[in-house]
Amino acid sequence: MADADASADAGNKQSVYHELLSPSELFEARSRSHKIPVRGQKEFLPSGSEQQSQRLQHSLEEHWTLLAEERVERLGNLVNAVWSPEEKLVELQSPAGKFWQTMGFSERGKQYLQPEEALYLMECGNVQVFYRDLPLSIQDGYERFLSSDTVTLHQYQVFGHLKRLGYVVNRFDPSHLSHSSVSSTYERQLNLPASDKQKKQLKRKRSQSPVSSDKHGISTEEKTTSEAHNELAETSKLPADLQEPVHLADAPERTWWMEEDVQQKHPKTQTAAPRWDFSSISFPDLGSRRRSERLASPHRSLLPENVDVGECDVSRWLGRLNMKQEKLSRRDMERQRERDRYRRDVNSDREVRRCRNWAEYSELMEERRRRRRKHRPEHLWEREETPLTQPGQCTSHRELLDQIGIIKSSTFSEGLSRLSPSDQWKISFDVYQPDTVAEFKKSHPGKPYTRMCVCSFAGPVPDLHAVKQLSFQSQDVPVTFAVVDHGDISFYCFKDFKLPTDVY
Amino acid sequence: MDGDPAVMKVPRSSSVEVKEDMDTKSEKQATRDALIDISFCGSTPMLWKVSDMKKCRSEGVIGALVGSLARQPRQNVRLGRPLELRPEEALLLLEKEKSTAAVRLDTQDCEDEEAHSEAVRLYEAGLESSYQEQCVLALEDKKKTLNRVMNEKENGTEGSGSAVRERLEALDQSFSFPWSAMAVQLCTARSGFSHCPEERSFHSTDCPMPRDEHLNTRFSVYRDLRNKGYYLTSAGKFGGDFLVYPGDPLRFHAHYIALCVSLDEEMPVCDILAIARLGSNVKKTVLLCSPQEGDVVYSSLQWSSMV
Repeated sequence: MADADASADAGNKQSVYHELLSPSELFEARSRSHKIPVRGQKEFLPSGSEQQSQRLQHSLEEHWTLLAEERVERLGNLVNAVWSPEEKLVELQSPAGKFWQTMGFSERGKQYLQPEEALYLMECGNVQVFYRDLPLSIQDGYERFLSSDTVTLHQYQVFGHLKRLGYVVNRFDPSHLSHSSVSSTYERQLNLPASDKQKKQLKRKRSQSPVSSDKHGISTEEKTTSEAHNELAETSKLPADLQEPVHLADAPERTWWMEEDVQQKHPKTQTAAPRWDFSSISFPDLGSRRRSERLASPHRSLLPENVDVGECDVSRWLGRLNMKQEKLSRRDMERQRERDRYRRDVNSDREVRRCRNWAEYSELMEERRRRRRKHRPEHLWEREETPLTQPGQCTSHRELLDQIGIIKSSTFSEGLSRLSPSDQWKISFDVYQPDTVAEFKKSHPGKPYTRMCVCSFAGPVPDLHAVKQLSFQSQDVPVTFAVVDHGDISFYCFKDFKLPTDVY
Repeated sequence: MDGDPAVMKVPRSSSVEVKEDMDTKSEKQATRDALIDISFCGSTPMLWKVSDMKKCRSEGVIGALVGSLARQPRQNVRLGRPLELRPEEALLLLEKEKSTAAVRLDTQDCEDEEAHSEAVRLYEAGLESSYQEQCVLALEDKKKTLNRVMNEKENGTEGSGSAVRERLEALDQSFSFPWSAMAVQLCTARSGFSHCPEERSFHSTDCPMPRDEHLNTRFSVYRDLRNKGYYLTSAGKFGGDFLVYPGDPLRFHAHYIALCVSLDEEMPVCDILAIARLGSNVKKTVLLCSPQEGDVVYSSLQWSSMV
């Protein structure tokens, strides 16, 4: 009985241990070849010939030899690490190797790897991951590290594919992107390091006089625009307040502009109605023909409380105004003549000169239009549907195409802010090009080359909503779709294309 | 043993009870060993052992390799283990009772502390004995090298062979093989002395793979074509469901692109045109396959001009 058990156990052990290498095999593995044999040409039809079956056998044997090879590494070359299922991270126990330049992160004094990075390094034979003091096999790695909480199998396959080609691949973190309305396309093009900007904003907040920051009390983003406003207001007041230095102690006395701001409690209305009613404030036109030597003082309400301004003598300024007739060079005059050849000055029209105000002018225009309409055929113009354009109305193809274009072309970035993030389509990775590896810094990776969204052939094709939403999420970086089909990966991307509208 | 109904049970008729038990056990073991172990990574069936892959290929199931190749991990031309199986392939293996399917349960790993510490002890003992053996092998290897050098030098006219001989003689004392120089194996498949995870075996009806109408259609077509002797792989890039090979894909080109449609499915003409164009571009015949009452009906598309 005991023997039977032993033999049964031995049989069991054999099936379970048979992929383990003996020490002598391990030792011999040092001098293994590193070349992969090239596959020959394939054939078209199976003919059942001996030659064919021999070649097939040979190919198969080569195939199994390559697959059966186990990873053997010198213990000193391996980095030890420990898998932590609670944190879903791999913690390094010995110093990291060359891979640390592009993978992993430090936290609380310890070095960590993401599970997909650790699994990839296990497959490359650089890292040995332990769990509860026993080493994990690659199979254990696949089954433990890959899940919907970390990275799915498809995502890992794309990750591995790109890493093997040499790309630097990081997980996509949407919170790192700034969607502030302040950054313009130009700023984003410049690719300013975001942290500096935020630091600057913080600094400004702190160094700003506590009194004025209390008075303003609006969000940081609006601060830059409001500060611009204040700066303008300050400079415009400068000629009048030259004697008064801008000093904190004087802040409480500046009641008139503070009042304006207190009204602006809601930052949203800042861009609404302007502060001044320009129709009632008259600005003197010193260059007009009717000019007086003296300017009346402005209305009391426009001035600060304790400032009293009398009449202003502008004769000195008038003397400095350049009222000479402009003398054009000959080339300029030629250009002017060319331009004026086809331009009709609206004021040279006698009928227009007879109009005394805008109402009469629009009446005249309407009358002219009516006269023109008399030449139009009734069946075209008097029905509900009229032609979009008429002969002689357009001077260029672009104008014509614009007028007859019922379907207006939209750009990719239109209507993006109204889109809500979808559950199905998510960006998984940031990908950086291989030739940047030498200068790659994990703390400042810079703008990625592309962002990956992983999907499969079994799933739906991304619709316009998904494509737009992902490109909005990704901002300036193009989005590539990595489609996984049982190990086979294809990459697709959508590009914006504008139809030419002008024909030369 | 209760948990794997996929294992074939052989009727017993022997009268000696003890021997019977022994025979049953070892026979069960033998049949169990002949079965292919399918492990699931999520809902994807995978094979990890080369012996399993060989058995699988002998059944005509090809699969796709998705891991890094051990010899050269940093390239994509030739990939290595694991072998990912299509759901149709896994279903076929299970149906033919050629395999067992198991998924590692996410719950607690081996709670048995004693068994676990025993496993750790075994592992460390294994490392130690491997180290000792490798020390011996390294010493022998070094001796051999020095001997060869010495012989070469003596065959030549140089008299520096004496220096080498001195080194050889001093080798036994001075040789050192550090622990870090030992070669270790990074196992691909789950090996014996590692964790003993709880596994749950599956029957073909309650596999963790999602089953829908389209999968059933594809499976009927797959099974039929496989029984006819064809080899099938994925054809996503060709716009179809399967690529059909007359022989092993290692040596032969595919002849057909198979697209599985159910008989009552409406197919717009432009789709047929698209796939016909694609087929003629890649010089493969397009097969529209539809299961019908246990059998499968095939229609091939041929692009011809009006003459």
